[in-house]
Amino acid sequence: MEYNGGSVIAMVGKGCVAIGSDLRLGNQALTVATNFEKVFPVTDRIYIGMSGLATDVATLREQFRFRVNMYTIKEEREIEPESFAHLVSSTLYERRFGPYFIEPVMAGLWKTQAGEYKPYIAAADLIGCLNFAKDFVVAGTASEKLFGVAEGLWEPDLEPEDLFETISQTLLNGVDRDAYSGWGAVIHVILPDKVITRTLKGRMD
Amino acid sequence: MARRYDSRTTIFSPEGRLYQIEYAMEAISHAGTVLGLLAKDGVVLAAEKKVTGKLLDMSGAKEGGYGGSGEKIFLLNSNVIAGVAGITADANSLVNYARTAAQRHLFTYNEDIPVEMLAQRLCDMKQGYTQFGGLRPFGVSLLYAGYDPHYEFQLYHSDPSGNYSGWKATCIGANNGTAQSLLKQEYKDDITVEEAIGLVLRVMSKTMDSTTLGSEKLEFAVLTLDRNTKLPKAKIYKPAEIDALLQQHDLGKKDEDTEMGSA
Amino acid sequence: MECSFALTGKGYVLIAADTTAARSIVKMKIDEDKIKSLGPHLLMAYSGEPGDTTQFAEYIERNIRLYQIRNLYPLRPPSAASWIRRALADSLRSRKPYSVNLLLGGYDTSNHTPSLYWIDYLGTQAEVPFACHGYGSYFALSLLDRYHDPEANLEEGLAVLRRCIDEVSKRLVVSPGKYRVKVVDKDGIREIEF
Repeated sequence: MEYNGGSVIAMVGKGCVAIGSDLRLGNQALTVATNFEKVFPVTDRIYIGMSGLATDVATLREQFRFRVNMYTIKEEREIEPESFAHLVSSTLYERRFGPYFIEPVMAGLWKTQAGEYKPYIAAADLIGCLNFAKDFVVAGTASEKLFGVAEGLWEPDLEPEDLFETISQTLLNGVDRDAYSGWGAVIHVILPDKVITRTLKGRMD
Repeated sequence: MARRYDSRTTIFSPEGRLYQIEYAMEAISHAGTVLGLLAKDGVVLAAEKKVTGKLLDMSGAKEGGYGGSGEKIFLLNSNVIAGVAGITADANSLVNYARTAAQRHLFTYNEDIPVEMLAQRLCDMKQGYTQFGGLRPFGVSLLYAGYDPHYEFQLYHSDPSGNYSGWKATCIGANNGTAQSLLKQEYKDDITVEEAIGLVLRVMSKTMDSTTLGSEKLEFAVLTLDRNTKLPKAKIYKPAEIDALLQQHDLGKKDEDTEMGSA
Repeated sequence: MECSFALTGKGYVLIAADTTAARSIVKMKIDEDKIKSLGPHLLMAYSGEPGDTTQFAEYIERNIRLYQIRNLYPLRPPSAASWIRRALADSLRSRKPYSVNLLLGGYDTSNHTPSLYWIDYLGTQAEVPFACHGYGSYFALSLLDRYHDPEANLEEGLAVLRRCIDEVSKRLVVSPGKYRVKVVDKDGIREIEF
């Protein structure tokens, strides 16, 4: 988990969710790339972030994309966040005794019977034990620091722009105290009709 | 005499013919027409639906899904759409195979499958069924409309024998001869998508049996590049959109027609 | 010890790799070519466990060639990189993983862009403006941070590469003596006398 470094975070807002990651890819203490995104779109309303061993981040990203596309083709509809979370969980548990070294964080919006969109976030450990949270989830080498900052900054029912500010401040200040994460960040705020993506600069060292 | 060479599996007749394949092709020439046209900035597909009637439950096609009624035009991958003519059950199985093949390519190479390669994948399978014992060939021809960075917009046709070829404009199914000669007369090399849509609709209205075109008899799709992302964008029209398009080209039902019908 | 460097510039990718084949403390060969041409516009520098390197590089070379024969056009650099990465990632969880590190430089003729991929033996892949493998990376990466220019012409690119190689020769105890340098651009692959 410390080999390549990197951190991800997701937060719930009012009718929206946000997810973000730092951009560092390292080889232990040596920084190899400063443009390595760890958050990927799954559908128009679901994103997944993965921290941990970078080779497994790439492998699982491709595997999830394959499985979600096959699901979409067979079901003729897009996957819902809760189903996706269980897909992630079972994919990881398949390797129970020789796991992929990643910790995923998922954020999405699910459609209620009434047609409204409700926020959904979840995280899992490396063998797929799900953690559904109502406020925020974190993972990666800066997770302890992120927990601390998020605990102080997050409040319920944040509007999209306020949620963006909260998650950005949490992530940037969290990774500043972690040598293995940093080099700026990318944040996605997921709304029912669009996704706002912004790339942030941090201390860049 | 022919009985001896076509009753069981695909084996050569003394004249060197494979009857089962010829029969499969015959099945296709009775199927609903599918027409494809390659323009400089996109590809257009149109298809005639045979299974219609007001008792048929079409609620699934109106909303949800990716458009189309699931009878003639299918999305094979984000960069390829296909029109099928022939035995629908065989077509469904081929479409499923194509989608899996496309996803497998995306998985191993992290890129959308090139259009010709997808056509090849299907043709490899179709060819296999003309050779291995105990099985009949697929009774399906397909038109593939797609985009890839190697050859940009492309249109391919494949038949039950496993042959495939690239086209600027072509037609399969019933009345394909009429449609092809019309296309030959009217096709221009630098045709735009907008002009192509008009031409396809005109040719379809002439080749189809019914006097007026409507969404219950027609499926329609266009593949273009998204203006912002520069990635291929497949649009399979929903029934309401087809009717609107036909109105726009003065080929739809006239208001007096419906009035006369109700009178 | 093994060192390889690569950097992108305006319309090209430069790749340099040392030419020593060593076993323990002994130099066995000093003119080894560790940069393979995988196609008309694709270069791969490889380093790592002797034996694994040649075996794996030839496996990749043959499969990329097979793709080109079957399909009449070569794999584009991003797709080739993804396929090679997968080969290493699958190998990592096999009984005997290959330990090979790669730098993959290519020029995409369909959209006229040069691209460079850093890939390690775990199957970690990153698209980067410049990259190094081996002990040289501890010196060269910081130089490249300072002097690399993605818009530089070939002469300027070679001058930056020269700085990297000189610095490694000056500061690294076990520095290699000679390098081979290759460039890939719109015209294909060339070796440059260095």
